[in-house]
Amino acid sequence: MASRKEGTGSTATSSSSTAGAAGKGKGKGGSGDSAVKQVQIDGLVVLKIIKHYQEEGQGTEVVQGVLLGLVVEDRLEITNCFPFPQHTEDDADFDEVQYQMEMMRSLRHVNIDHLHVGWYQSTYYGSFVTRALLDSQFSYQHAIEESVVLIYDPIKTAQGSLSLKAYRLTPKLMEVCKEKDFSPEALKKANITFEYMFEEVPIVIKNSHLINVLMWELEKKSAVADKHELLSLASSIFTLHFSNHLGKNLQLLMDRVDEMSQDIVKYNTYMRNTSKQQQQKHQYQQRRQQENMQRQSRGEPPLPEEDLSKLFKPPQPPARMDSLLIAGQINTYCQNIKEFTAQNLGKLFMAQALQEYNN
Amino acid sequence: MSRFFTTGSDSESESSLSGEELVTKPVGGNYGKQPLLLSEDEEDTKRVVRSAKDKRFEELTNLIRTIRNAMKIRDVTKCLEEFELLGKAYGKAKSIVDKEGVPRFYIRILADLEDYLNELWEDKEGKKKMNKNNAKALSTLRQKIRKYNRDFESHITSYKQSADEDAEKNEEDSEGSSDEDEDEDGVSAATFLKKKSEAPSGESRKFLKKMDVRARDEDEDSEDSEDDEDWDTGSTSSDSDSEEEEGKQTALASRFLKKAPTTDEDKKAAEKKREDKAKKKHDRKSKRLDEEEEDNEGGEWERVRGGVPLVKEKPKMFAKGTEITHAVVIKKLNEILQARGKKGTDRAAQIELLQLLVQIAAENNLGEGVIVKIKFNIIASLYDYNPNLATYMKPEMWGKCLDCINELMDILFANPNIFVGENILEESENLHNADQPLRVRGCILTLVERMDEEFTKIMQNTDPHSQEYVEHLKDEAQVCAIIERVQRYLEEKGTTEEVCRIYLLRILHTYYKFDYKAHQRQLTPPEGSSKSEQDQAENEGEDSAVLMERLCKYIYAKDRTDRIRTCAILCHIYHHALHSRWYQARDLMLMSHLQDNIQHADPPVQILYNRTMVQLGICAFRQGLTKDAHNALLDIQSSGRAKELLGQGLLLRSLQERNQEQEKVERRRQVPFHLHINLELLECVYLVSAMLLEIPYMAAHESDARRRMISKQFHHQLRVGERQPLLGPPESMREHVVAASKAMKMGDWKTCHSFIINEKMNGKVWDLFPEADKVRTMLVRKIQEESLRTYLFTYSSVYDSISMETLSDMFELDLPTVHSIISKMIINEELMASLDQPTQTVVMHRTEPTAQQNLALQLAEKLGSLVENNERVFDHKQGTYGGYFRDQKDGYRKNEGYMRRGGYRQQQSQTAY
Repeated sequence: MASRKEGTGSTATSSSSTAGAAGKGKGKGGSGDSAVKQVQIDGLVVLKIIKHYQEEGQGTEVVQGVLLGLVVEDRLEITNCFPFPQHTEDDADFDEVQYQMEMMRSLRHVNIDHLHVGWYQSTYYGSFVTRALLDSQFSYQHAIEESVVLIYDPIKTAQGSLSLKAYRLTPKLMEVCKEKDFSPEALKKANITFEYMFEEVPIVIKNSHLINVLMWELEKKSAVADKHELLSLASSIFTLHFSNHLGKNLQLLMDRVDEMSQDIVKYNTYMRNTSKQQQQKHQYQQRRQQENMQRQSRGEPPLPEEDLSKLFKPPQPPARMDSLLIAGQINTYCQNIKEFTAQNLGKLFMAQALQEYNN
Repeated sequence: MSRFFTTGSDSESESSLSGEELVTKPVGGNYGKQPLLLSEDEEDTKRVVRSAKDKRFEELTNLIRTIRNAMKIRDVTKCLEEFELLGKAYGKAKSIVDKEGVPRFYIRILADLEDYLNELWEDKEGKKKMNKNNAKALSTLRQKIRKYNRDFESHITSYKQSADEDAEKNEEDSEGSSDEDEDEDGVSAATFLKKKSEAPSGESRKFLKKMDVRARDEDEDSEDSEDDEDWDTGSTSSDSDSEEEEGKQTALASRFLKKAPTTDEDKKAAEKKREDKAKKKHDRKSKRLDEEEEDNEGGEWERVRGGVPLVKEKPKMFAKGTEITHAVVIKKLNEILQARGKKGTDRAAQIELLQLLVQIAAENNLGEGVIVKIKFNIIASLYDYNPNLATYMKPEMWGKCLDCINELMDILFANPNIFVGENILEESENLHNADQPLRVRGCILTLVERMDEEFTKIMQNTDPHSQEYVEHLKDEAQVCAIIERVQRYLEEKGTTEEVCRIYLLRILHTYYKFDYKAHQRQLTPPEGSSKSEQDQAENEGEDSAVLMERLCKYIYAKDRTDRIRTCAILCHIYHHALHSRWYQARDLMLMSHLQDNIQHADPPVQILYNRTMVQLGICAFRQGLTKDAHNALLDIQSSGRAKELLGQGLLLRSLQERNQEQEKVERRRQVPFHLHINLELLECVYLVSAMLLEIPYMAAHESDARRRMISKQFHHQLRVGERQPLLGPPESMREHVVAASKAMKMGDWKTCHSFIINEKMNGKVWDLFPEADKVRTMLVRKIQEESLRTYLFTYSSVYDSISMETLSDMFELDLPTVHSIISKMIINEELMASLDQPTQTVVMHRTEPTAQQNLALQLAEKLGSLVENNERVFDHKQGTYGGYFRDQKDGYRKNEGYMRRGGYRQQQSQTAY
């Protein structure tokens, strides 16, 4: 936590801002198969993404764009990016692929890395675990194995800590997506849970040495202001963001829980229907058997076998992918809340200790 | 005019003619009227006074001119078209024709046209040459005009006669004939008869010329009238010898008089003119048979046609010389009745025959019994006249029907020894034996009920925004009077069942009328007794409330059919509600238990029920009982089909869903316009009461997840209001209510008040109440109270304590009211606060959870249900095992206060076992 706090003060200093938990996840998730173990982002890309959101995104709207770069050994270097134009109703025939190709060609002319290595997207209170994201990331990863998606959370960033995370789908999920079978059985077989859907890749922000030097110098100059940072930040969070942020998160969490609940109810009905049908099937078979026995005793030929699956059409199993996604989303929210409250509780304790000390 | 003075038989034929006319031509009434024999000039000079007449006649003359043109060029198709138009125009002009008599030029064109057509018809060669369209038109037109002219037969003959006479006269002294001016006319009248047979076209040309001359003449006339001197000299000179001028002058004189002459000289001149005129009139009368003056031409006309209908139609009934006895008449009656309902029967003719029969019976003094019997049959055939249920009676028929019933009632009242009844058999009728009481088969009640139905039908089929509707509505009084008479009659002679039925009819005509007199009386009881006596003298009738009470009680006690009682109760409730007797109305509604079983009733009764409920709701609103008002109106309003449910119109939306037949049935169910309940008023009352309930409720349960809507419709309106991108000042009633709700949400009662009660809303809604001011005061008070509550709910978290005086100032309520409202809120645990008596303040407890806490609680609840759902899935996997978990969970739930759900789960697990 402490390291993060330092990072927030001067955003652009090259430091790892990834959470330890993500690193663990990665270790478990078997990213060993993947060549890429680390994402190195240019400061330019970060600034460009932030700028893009500030200019185009507002409220719940998200902005998206393409990441450019290249793979060097086991790390993915993202050196540049460009945004997608915002979708509007009237230019429905806008050709995205055409636009991307055009952009990349143009960038090549000015000697910029033109290899497509993924995409970025902004998010609203961390609600990014959606079907749309899954689908597009799948198609990216299907075409370019190394691609990642950068998730930028503008709200958290506005609170003081840059929130930028790189995700990719786990190989397991890739398998499932390839087969396009989201039935409960298939997911069970693939042994997928919401924890192993996405894996986070550690991020390193890298700047040129010149910039680093400049930053150092700036930091030295603004030393006085920094001293007050901690407290002022705390107070601002308490008065302005605390209630709002937490409330929003709770609200969103609640919505997801509702959805989850509905999903479960749906699943439950399906289970009930299946079992009921199973029973009927069983009864039918028994009756048929009895009849055949009687016929046999009377010396008549047994009734012909009929296709049972035609008689009893199994109910359509509900797709489980959605509930998986919801679970994943709930997980993100919970982590958000946990993180947030932990920070604030820490601050509260700190403030208390200070108070006692002063007294 | 004459026909009113002549014998009944004449008028009989009159009406029958009109009846027949209705079948053949919808164009409208060609009452056999004497031709209007006054000159065109005279009419025109009267233009200022009677513009309507001139307009109509001008229309006619224009059409006639076109017809003549068409005749000239042998365009029969055009003729046919124009002739139809002419018929219509004539129908429009009927009211004037009634007054003035049939205009002569009209008769002339009819005669000419017929002759012309006959001529064309005879002309075989010409016919062959004609193109197909023309030939076809010729045959149609010929048939039509034949039929049409039958109505005018007498006029046309007389016209021809007079034309002949004119011709003769013209030869004698070259005096102009009646309707044309000096020089042209005499010639034309003479020539046109002569020439007509050979060359109608030539004639018409002449006619045209005449028209021109006439027009010129008119101009002159107007000049004349403008210039007194001119007129005096000019007229006096021509006066002496010209008959034609005379008519003109009279008119001028009369107009002159109307203008209120200022000088004595003028007056004298006018007087003199009149004297002259009168003298001439006498002369003329003796000398000539026709024209000039309206009043004496009636007398003239009688001679021409007086005997005609009798001579013509009497043989139809009885052979000449037959002695008219009961047996003969009844035989004849039966004969006529046999034809009833058969396919080819001319229903109009039947009515006519029956009327003739009644005439004969009356003439021969056959006794009241026979007359009553025939009258019954006349009315029945009047009802039969329309072939199906959908169409309604023509106004003439309706008027005749009312008259007939009235006459019948007269007879019945005058002769108490006549027994009328459905159950009297044909054989046991006693129609003439004066020694025994007369017995006639027939049911006056059925007739009256049918009459009522017809009245409803007429009202349904009239445009409610036209003058016509008002005219029809005037008949309502007559209908009521008849019902009252029948009621009196049946009270004496009828069975209880019949009395019930007629009472219901009476009730149905009473319940929806607001009794202003009684209301007035109620308002001013303490004022001097002298005045109240005067009032009593003014309205001798009993209060409608008393009347309703009496009639309904009788029905409650005596009726044995459920339907009449149900209707009576509903009407009674409606009447109570209309007169703001809320508690009586409500008690009656609750006691009747109609709410439980109304869905088994037939649609008209259901409509009546809906109307009653709505009226009840509006009544509750007037009393300031918003909650009751809301509840009463909820069912009607929430469906969004109030219009349909109240029988006040069909919804366009569902037009596709029903077929023609259903639509007809539904159309028949519609309530006539004068019984309608204003839908905007209804909606406004509903929305305002919803607002008064919902806004405080919303404020109280702002952060409650399980909050329920009180009124869906109100919320819908709010949402619609929110969706508006740009919010202008409110226009419609709904927008006003929405704007008021928003103001109320903020506790701003003054803005709310100004939105609910202002000019626009007054005009649209509040002024429709009988006691508008009372309602408004009530409303203001309610708004203040509910705003106070809303304010406390919304802002209590901001206050530590608040002085009641401040509140009372803010909401302009007196202190005790504020006190009582706050106390009520505290007792109901809506407001977490306590009252501090000495300082008169409300001290807040601040025990309400914060937003986060609320959210957390909600989340916990949701998670609880999620866990539960999840567990159920688990149950499935495990079969019926897993009791361990459940027991544990149940315990957990009990602690958390999830008793209800625990119970449910136990129930479920039992079924699983």
